[in-house]
Amino acid sequence: MEQEEKKAAKIMLREVVDQVYQEAWDAKKRGEPVGWSSSKFPAEIAETLGLKVCYPENQAAAVAAKHGGQRMCEAAEGMGYSNDICAYARISLAYAAGEEAEEKPMPQPDFLLCCNNICNCMTKWYENIARMHNIPLIMFDIPYNNETEVSEESVAYLKGQFYDVIGQLEAISSRKWDEERFEEVCKNSNRTAKAWLKACSYCQYEPSPLSGFDLFNHMADVVTARCKPETAEAFEALAEEYEQAVKDGTSTWRYDENYRIMFEGIPCWPVLRTLFTPLKNKGINTTAVVYAPAFGFVFNNLEEMMKAYYKAPNSVCLETGVKWREGICRENKVDGVLVHYNRSCKPWSGYMPEMERRFRKDLGIPVVGFDGDQADPRNFSEAQYTTRVDGLFELMEENKKGRGSV
Amino acid sequence: MTTIKEILSRFQEIASNPDNRLQGYIKDGKKVIGCFPYYVPEELVSAADMVPFGIWGAEGTISAAKEYFAAFYCTIAQMNLEMGLTGKLKGLSGVIVPSLCDTLRPLSQNFRVAVPDIPFIFVAHPQNRKKEFGVQYTVDIYGKIKKQLEAIAGHKITDEKLTAAIDVYNQSRAARRTFVRLAGEHPEAVTPAERSAVLKSSFFMTKQEHTVMVNELNELLMALPNSDWQGIRIFTSGILADNKNLLGILEENNLAVAADDVAAESRGIRVDVPKHPDPLYALALQFGEQDHDPLLHDPELNNRPEYIIKQIRSCNAKGVVILMMQFCDPEEMEYPDLKKALEQEAIPHIIIGVDQQMRDFAQARTQIQAFADVLSMA
Amino acid sequence: MGNDGFSYTLGIDVGSTSSKCVVLKDGKEIVSKALVPFGAGTSGPERARKEVLEQAGLLETDLSYTLATGYGRNMVEGADAQMSELSCHARGACELFPDVRTVIDIGGQDAKVLRINSNGMMENFVMNDKCAAGTGRFLEVMARVLEVDINEMAVLSARSEKKVDISSTCTVFAESEVISQLSNNADKCDIISGIHRSVAGRTGGLAKRLGVLPQVVMTGGVARNAGVVKALEEELKVPIFTSPLAQYAGALGAALFGWQKYIRN
Repeated sequence: MEQEEKKAAKIMLREVVDQVYQEAWDAKKRGEPVGWSSSKFPAEIAETLGLKVCYPENQAAAVAAKHGGQRMCEAAEGMGYSNDICAYARISLAYAAGEEAEEKPMPQPDFLLCCNNICNCMTKWYENIARMHNIPLIMFDIPYNNETEVSEESVAYLKGQFYDVIGQLEAISSRKWDEERFEEVCKNSNRTAKAWLKACSYCQYEPSPLSGFDLFNHMADVVTARCKPETAEAFEALAEEYEQAVKDGTSTWRYDENYRIMFEGIPCWPVLRTLFTPLKNKGINTTAVVYAPAFGFVFNNLEEMMKAYYKAPNSVCLETGVKWREGICRENKVDGVLVHYNRSCKPWSGYMPEMERRFRKDLGIPVVGFDGDQADPRNFSEAQYTTRVDGLFELMEENKKGRGSV
Repeated sequence: MTTIKEILSRFQEIASNPDNRLQGYIKDGKKVIGCFPYYVPEELVSAADMVPFGIWGAEGTISAAKEYFAAFYCTIAQMNLEMGLTGKLKGLSGVIVPSLCDTLRPLSQNFRVAVPDIPFIFVAHPQNRKKEFGVQYTVDIYGKIKKQLEAIAGHKITDEKLTAAIDVYNQSRAARRTFVRLAGEHPEAVTPAERSAVLKSSFFMTKQEHTVMVNELNELLMALPNSDWQGIRIFTSGILADNKNLLGILEENNLAVAADDVAAESRGIRVDVPKHPDPLYALALQFGEQDHDPLLHDPELNNRPEYIIKQIRSCNAKGVVILMMQFCDPEEMEYPDLKKALEQEAIPHIIIGVDQQMRDFAQARTQIQAFADVLSMA
Repeated sequence: MGNDGFSYTLGIDVGSTSSKCVVLKDGKEIVSKALVPFGAGTSGPERARKEVLEQAGLLETDLSYTLATGYGRNMVEGADAQMSELSCHARGACELFPDVRTVIDIGGQDAKVLRINSNGMMENFVMNDKCAAGTGRFLEVMARVLEVDINEMAVLSARSEKKVDISSTCTVFAESEVISQLSNNADKCDIISGIHRSVAGRTGGLAKRLGVLPQVVMTGGVARNAGVVKALEEELKVPIFTSPLAQYAGALGAALFGWQKYIRN
């Protein structure tokens, strides 16, 4: 049955995330255990057991976007945490230790779901919280993969952990594992992943019916709520809006689309507008973001599910990472790449110099980097960023005219 | 005392000239396998009659590696890449590279593509290493490493050879542990720099060769009368503690290392390989039992701070010097809890930032001197 | 021993950017002091020593003990002993403020926080990371960019009416932030106030790692900048005491330790 007035997809998406936090608060009030989870911990498990979970990475991003990042980081530093540590971790550790974060409050955890596919820092971060609160830490270890395929022994290791985690969470939730419910949850998460990927795929149109930066905001849903049917519905609605926009020739990117770029890395949440402005002024739309499609977990069975969780940007080998990025650069027809050297993310920034060289060679497009940070505003310089964007623009101009070589 | 000094001097010669050692083995027709940090199962290399050679960076300047890494990475990783890029590792028959931290992940990839002439062996250590499925995974990845080593060696690694290698390494670890205890008991005979050289030289020798020398030294140390050394015993913690300038400053201030929690020193020798009919499985069990290391996830979360306190108490150290490797996430993230544990026990500590490009030791000198003052008043 | 029957000890504090000397009579009275704005590796230390002896009307031979401290302490000729500036600042601060429990010293190139126990002895300390941000060097760079005399910064920041934040922890980035603010016609007084808050933030973070116990005293060159002192008071929410002798705390402590060593012999 059609609603009289269809809700805008972005409102649906925002409500989904609000709901995640609300459900966690409600569960806490009812005396149910609430978990904190890594963004790429297999969310299907907690969902199947009816456990409410929220995501410190999402909280940290929101706190940073609302300009609380520095305060929280300084609080963590006052506790002895080096300012070299990932800013998400610093913000989260300060919050776990009792620092208030009105920007995005979240119930304190009763258990932790840690998965290190995205980084090793995760493990230390969650260990610290577990010690602070004296709560169980459920560790789902996904080692770095040096090969392009996921080996049999790796799948076996993950499967062993999968069943072990179920056992631990059954104890915490006081519920029994329901295989049928699990299948239903997996159907939802697959549907969400497909709808998300579909929405992202509209970036391939020229001009793009969306501003790539929109995806940074919508990403919150696929991080915090990918197992919920509402999320799939919202992304499907989003894809429909883009489909319509293509037909109508409209876009959420309301400026000239002189050039299209891939934005490599996590965005600098405290200064999103500052990132956006020079791009807007020069008519540079972001039509490929690596961070976003990284959440497209699609699988048909347990083995494929284990393999899917092996694929995070910081857990795949260099060649796979390059192939993936060059794929979206080609599909989405980008003219240049802007690389965020994220001070907070050592694994990610560690591949970029070599990847830059490969992009230039394989794609023949200019690549420019800038220094920044995903959540600590003190590691970003507006002057430097603007200069670099100007530089990228000039290189793309030269490249278009076919005069310069990159 | 002269004989002790002679042996120590030989150790210092070896520890200071890894390149000579490497070239020596290569000239002798030996195949040498470079082992990056941490927890490489060297027994497999040894069982293949090849020489495991520890490569934990070097003091120097980073230049070529800047094409692969921004500034905010630990110098061990950057220097390893630097050495690879500048031909200093030429002649190695292979490298084994683990991935236990967020810098080792990109280092493994960068090294593999930047130094393609050296056969590359990757280690994907599991963090859930104690449960059966974890042990099995360790067996599987060690099995892969074994196959790659066999290809390099040109022959199979038999179970007999592997069992024998495990024995050699267990003896080596035991000998080194004894040395650490004896050096802590006799600072009048072993300076901090000499102590470091004994342990560091094990990276550049076969364990058989190294153990012979360590046993000789241990006997002489055991024969010494009870020490009446009047200085202050300290405990060190960190990744590396081999910088001669820093060690000299400790000595200047009458501080001696009673025991350590240093990755390149005691962390690697705490746990022996248990007896098991399948030697590969035994190695996997050993990795499962490694603990008290910020790099390894310990499901018993509070074990490490408790363990460190126990170590400090049993070696009668009066204070702790933390040598914080710059940009080392795991060490940095462990620090607040270590600090809390030390403060609760009223054990004074200082934390000194170190890296392998350090040239100016003025701040470190000031800190250590002031710390010695603080400890002498306590 | 001076020929008037009193014992004089000399404390020399050779920092990275300045050299300070204090002559103490019988370990009690400051007879003279000198400061030369040149530090280790220059003629500064010797000039300061010459000046302080002249002021006191003494010769080198009149001195009972000379103790050197600071970055350049190992290069002072004729010193009877040398001690770390941490211990000496602690001792000097205690002399000036007997109830001190926390000493914050922001020098030219580093920052330190010292814990003093109830016996007036230093029992713990922290030092800043290898970084110019939050030190005297940082303030010098900023003063240059703003084209003001570093000694005017306190007065100027007091006139600030609008809050301007300088948030970068990297000196180079902060410089660019200041330039950007100037280009947008921000008031210099507001910018300087922001710079002071930035230094206070860095130093405050260091202090919190050690724990802030009153009485809190600031020593070192930057203590003369009332703007930074005030910003630090606001950051740490405690009153901070300082003295015109703040910059001499290290030399004073050295002279006192020199006296202690002399009478023990």
